Amino acid sequence: MHIDPLAEVRQDPLARIGLFILATISLMALFAPLLSSYSPNDYTGKIFSPPDMDHPLGTDSVGQDIWVRLLYGARTSLIVAGAVAIISSTLSLLIGATAALVGGFYERFCMRAIDAVTSLPTIVVMILVAAYLRPSLMLLVLLISALSWPTGARIVRSQVLTLKERAHITAARTFGAGKRHIITTHILPELSPIVSSMMMMDARRAVFMEAGLAFLGVSDPMVISWGKMMHQAMAFTYLDVWQWWLVPTGFALSATLIGISFLSFSLEAAMDPRLRKGNVRL
Amino acid sequence: MVQPGNDSDGGTGNPREAECWIAKAWSGKAARYIPARLQSYLIALAAIFSLNFILPRLMPGDPLHAIYGDVALVAMTDEMQSHLIRQLSLDKSWWDQMQAYLLGLMHGDLGFSYYYRDQVSQVILGAMPWTVLLAGLALVIATLIGIILGIESGYNRGSSLDRGLVLSLMFLSGFPDFFVGVLLLLIFAVSLDVLPLSGATSAYAGYQGLSYVADVLRHLALPLAAMVLVQLGDVFLLTRNTVVTLLGESFILTARAKGCPERLIKYAHAGRNSLLPVTTATGMRIPHLITRVLFIEIVFSYPGIGSLLNTAISTRDYPLIQGVLLVVTLTVLSVNFLVDLLYMRLDPRVRYAH
Repeated sequence: MHIDPLAEVRQDPLARIGLFILATISLMALFAPLLSSYSPNDYTGKIFSPPDMDHPLGTDSVGQDIWVRLLYGARTSLIVAGAVAIISSTLSLLIGATAALVGGFYERFCMRAIDAVTSLPTIVVMILVAAYLRPSLMLLVLLISALSWPTGARIVRSQVLTLKERAHITAARTFGAGKRHIITTHILPELSPIVSSMMMMDARRAVFMEAGLAFLGVSDPMVISWGKMMHQAMAFTYLDVWQWWLVPTGFALSATLIGISFLSFSLEAAMDPRLRKGNVRL
Repeated sequence: MVQPGNDSDGGTGNPREAECWIAKAWSGKAARYIPARLQSYLIALAAIFSLNFILPRLMPGDPLHAIYGDVALVAMTDEMQSHLIRQLSLDKSWWDQMQAYLLGLMHGDLGFSYYYRDQVSQVILGAMPWTVLLAGLALVIATLIGIILGIESGYNRGSSLDRGLVLSLMFLSGFPDFFVGVLLLLIFAVSLDVLPLSGATSAYAGYQGLSYVADVLRHLALPLAAMVLVQLGDVFLLTRNTVVTLLGESFILTARAKGCPERLIKYAHAGRNSLLPVTTATGMRIPHLITRVLFIEIVFSYPGIGSLLNTAISTRDYPLIQGVLLVVTLTVLSVNFLVDLLYMRLDPRVRYAH
């Protein structure tokens, strides 16, 4: 590739905003114990207390400090995002690339499986499985990954298919390069921008799904999650407590999603010449 | 999508050519494309069947216990339990159980929802009209507004209107669907108190005729607005980007050269040609629309399939969750299949993708 997408992303204001948001949230998650004097499972004794010096966002229906739960909720979202991004993109890369390289029946089988999984209503499937198997964070991560690898696998496959026919790869083959050499030095490095944008996509979907499922009441009972906080807060919209319980949590979740989106928008724009500056984008 | 008798559109919309596409689409490679898609839908369907059938039976302990959940069993009499065991063939082999299960499905028997004390199929059918109303209206309105805004924005690319729209809609599409719903709910129903908080009709109000319609519309306003807002970004960005690319085409130049009025170029040339990708994308968005509508319904307690699902989760009504999953999957798969057929008719290049 003649353009270095990653260098271009670094110059893009959109990507910078995205990175800034994500960095702030990561720092909040990382230094959660330092940013609050409470532990997320402490009962302070006061319920529904409005924000004050002790509790920057007040307390919830059982008297837990909302600010500290918000901080620890960020950990859950980021852990799920990271874990799903890694597992799912590894699966996509493995299955997509082998399908394109092996071909034949195996490829057709993979493509059918990919089509089948992508046409499922993922949220409902996850609700059913989680309802039977008792939701745990681990199970959720595995489930989300199991249902989100196909989109990436399809992209990887089509990319490898075109790469395979490129002149420099044919040239390498004429010089007697082996399969392994071609894959490791020519194909894999060229896939790196695609894989990074795929990971971003997976991470975004994972954050959304984890929060969405928890919002519907499907979540690990031991884990603090933004979705679960919103689920609990939805029962109390008739009190003023939503102002410091429901809304800040929702905005934290949205900010995380927007941060990831901005990064991946800008990455995509850098990779797809049709979307480059001066063409379609602003 | 074809522009009859318009010779200035660069040959992309010749009616005769289009007829030719359709004829070709049904022969040759199409004969392989459709079965391939059907295969994957069958795989998906089989996956759902086996999830619904195997998962409860894999659970440790009594299968009836797993199928109906703890809460339901407490409420059941011994007589009911033995009836269910006989009906589901739970005392026989797996093979018999599967036959009983599939036979039941063929008869439209999705099990019994103990929470609603009715057949699951009846419960779902009762909720369906509200979901269809909400999702259908939202799809139409969002597509129309998205196309118009997209054309205006793409045509005036770089203007402050364009920048504002792109930035705000991109920002909006970052929000999770259910939070957009929650915000609308908090602003209009909780703080301002101008629209109803939940439900689809006012209970016991006994409205008739026009006042009933008005009541339904008042309840529909917020969920509909939320659905439109969360979908708007996709349609808008696609239309805008298509229009921007189309503006560079030679048929636009020709139209300008022959002195076409701006409005005509905007809507009849650029706008009309952007409809093809937008139509296909709309079809592809329908499965996504179904998941979205579930969330929005839950936020506004709108009595459709989504609210059913919510009740089923909180009351652990497993047969109802299974039923919703099956119905949603069947809907998504059939819509997907229709879109495939339509897509192939509209764009013959699809044939080469497989």
